[in-house]
Amino acid sequence: MNTTWLDRIENFISNMFSNIKLVEKGLLGLEGSYVELMTVLALGLLAVIPILTGQKNRQFWRHVNQIFGIGIFIFVVFTCLGVFGMIRNFYRGLSEIGRENIIALYYCSVPVTILVTSMLFGPAFCGWICPTGALQEFISVLTRKHTLAHKNSGYRFSKKLFVTAVFVAAVFILWMYRLSVTRLFFIEDASIYWSEVLIILLFVLVFRMRQWDFKLRRLRVLSFAIITAGAVMSMRITSPVHFGFAKVYDPASFLSTVIVALSALVIPMVWCKYLCPWRCAIAWAAKHSVRKIKFDQSKCVRCAKCNDACLLDAVDYGKINRNECHLCFKCVDICPANCFYIEDNWMPDEN
Amino acid sequence: MKTKFFSAILLNLILCSCSIAGDWYTGRGCAEGKAVLEYNGDKKLDEWHYIYKNNRRYKPGLAVWASPALAVVGGHPMAFIGGYDQTLHALDLAEKNVVWRKITNGEISSAPAVAKIEGTDIVFWGSADRTVYAHSAFSGRKLWTKELIEPSSTLGQIFISSPYIHNAKLYISCFAYDKSLSRNEQKGYLFCLDTKTGRILLRLQVSTGILTDPIGFSLDGKSYVAVCARRGLLQCFDVTSETPRKVWQYQMPHETLGSPVVTTQTDPPMIYLGSKYGNFVAINAYTGQQVWQEMAGNWIDNSAAIGEIGGKKVAFVGSHDYCVYAYDAQTGGLIWKKPIGGEVFSAPTFFKIGGVSYLCVASLDNHLYVLDAQTGTIFNSYFTGNPIWDKLPKGEYLWGSPATVLSGADTCIVYGSFNDMVYSIPVMKACSLTAMARSVKSLWVSLGAVLFIFCAVVMPIFLKIPLKQTAN
Repeated sequence: MNTTWLDRIENFISNMFSNIKLVEKGLLGLEGSYVELMTVLALGLLAVIPILTGQKNRQFWRHVNQIFGIGIFIFVVFTCLGVFGMIRNFYRGLSEIGRENIIALYYCSVPVTILVTSMLFGPAFCGWICPTGALQEFISVLTRKHTLAHKNSGYRFSKKLFVTAVFVAAVFILWMYRLSVTRLFFIEDASIYWSEVLIILLFVLVFRMRQWDFKLRRLRVLSFAIITAGAVMSMRITSPVHFGFAKVYDPASFLSTVIVALSALVIPMVWCKYLCPWRCAIAWAAKHSVRKIKFDQSKCVRCAKCNDACLLDAVDYGKINRNECHLCFKCVDICPANCFYIEDNWMPDEN
Repeated sequence: MKTKFFSAILLNLILCSCSIAGDWYTGRGCAEGKAVLEYNGDKKLDEWHYIYKNNRRYKPGLAVWASPALAVVGGHPMAFIGGYDQTLHALDLAEKNVVWRKITNGEISSAPAVAKIEGTDIVFWGSADRTVYAHSAFSGRKLWTKELIEPSSTLGQIFISSPYIHNAKLYISCFAYDKSLSRNEQKGYLFCLDTKTGRILLRLQVSTGILTDPIGFSLDGKSYVAVCARRGLLQCFDVTSETPRKVWQYQMPHETLGSPVVTTQTDPPMIYLGSKYGNFVAINAYTGQQVWQEMAGNWIDNSAAIGEIGGKKVAFVGSHDYCVYAYDAQTGGLIWKKPIGGEVFSAPTFFKIGGVSYLCVASLDNHLYVLDAQTGTIFNSYFTGNPIWDKLPKGEYLWGSPATVLSGADTCIVYGSFNDMVYSIPVMKACSLTAMARSVKSLWVSLGAVLFIFCAVVMPIFLKIPLKQTAN
């Protein structure tokens, strides 16, 4: 048997995850209750940290929180299998209420924790915990100089971004070819189709980002509808980026993880902006949260630092688009005139 | 007419009496782990989906079905399959009905054994209620039951393996965890029972952990039983005389879940066993020395199967790296490695139809795969449903494996799926479960379809709908 260099890379990566077995074994001592218990506790704690963290070194602690988030998703909630799994499991958990309440709790614990904390404290899950968001954020640092220049130029056509998009597409096609001749694919291997759509979006956005950006962000609703319909129809739909959370090597999801990461080099947070179905639910839940970022227009010096800091283009000279905001507080922390402040309506004003 | 009728019945009885021998080798029916029943009767076998919904007593999270044991009883090809609903089901695969059911007081996690004892077909199985059951395979009538472990209010986990039957003796392993603070014992026993009465002939503690199914073999006129502890210690006992004698032991590199299989047609006779970290080991059955060791992926859950292709013995094993491996049983040389759609958690079943060898395995992508055993090419795949719960700790339980009723064009695979159904799937005929396994061409066609739908339908619609003002 000849092993190619791609086989060796795959083996290396799958071996990296083999240690997860040891962690799982330790957790099994809790006789299965660890998933509900630790998830609720861990995600709850992580969601509270944005509230407890002061302005000093906030971004540092946010990144620490994100790293913990990645760890928790890999080692504790690996059965959730990422954003698609969270929707599917939530539906399944809801349908078990009254029949198998423990199972219902198990399936609902992660999505309910995320939705409840979003309802209370805003969409901090996206900005502080979500491993997919963290992965893209860390990756996009590498090309931030170029993507920022692209943004400041009003999203004009950029040859560099175009070449990177071509590179991502080439990786996808070649990898797809290799997988297609070595493995069976089923309709459930949906992550490859989402990756394909992501690549098409990259090309569209390289040319027409200024005009079509926000219109295309509504694709998240379609994404949510498709996944929910799939869950209702009991279809097994594999999720992009669940590779990192599953204990075992899944080639289709591995490919889609790579594509999401590479795409983030061209457009920061591209998965969150255009395709993340879970983002829909979180934005809805966070609509009336008690914590909000507010902006004092009178102090603004129009330096546009908040615009530059926001990877999601959710801030426009202090105006915050709540559908897009991940509550990362970058705009708050970077503002030289302290125009932003956090409004907390947890305790109603006695006056 | 009458003569014809009685002749047919007589012929059937003769054929069927040949189908159950006195020996039964662990959960896979034969020492080589092929899990095949040859059925030469005239009854047709068709697709059948069996589900039993009444009064289920599930402990959530368990694996739903154990592996089936297949036997021809009274001229009918039957599957005996235990479940985590604590019930043993006797299914007539030809008539597609349940002949009998027997509820126990514990989960049945291992395959039963069927043997002819003094002219009666008897099905034996162990249940987590500490008991071994012996019932008439034909009627379900109870012949005897035997408690292996004394009851105690502090007893925790009990695990009873598949039986191995040889010379009217039943060998079975049993693990009992007594959680009493003072005793706090974990003991793995090898039991030997009289198949006629259930009397315990031997109780030997061989480990302090869970044990695999015992496997038996005969060499130079002597009978041996080998059993492996979950922690990887494989021990072989000479059971020729009344008092067993440990002949050798071999420590596997890592933990094991699956049971050993053995073939005496290699030189030397060899035992094959996989570990939870992917080591696939061939061990000399005479001496317990390792003959060869290969890495088959990163996690072997279940037993191997030994088949013969072109006069050469081939060892097949599935791994959690999505691959099925075929090794030269003699030398350990890799013959082929085939990735399928998910982790391979089952033991393979090996069978031949019309001179072509096939292999069937179950995978965690909820499909059964039938492969050409010579090349590894996928012959067909079947969708066997989503698990009724996801919370199955991988590597802690042995899940059900498929078995085959070999009957020419009627050949069926019997499999208890984790979606709560037992399937009888015809291999050579149309089947409603046949999966949409994509060819390379159809994969590219579907990618093209997504490209077209997204660019020509979805995007224009989304770009046409005006934006709602959402910024504040």
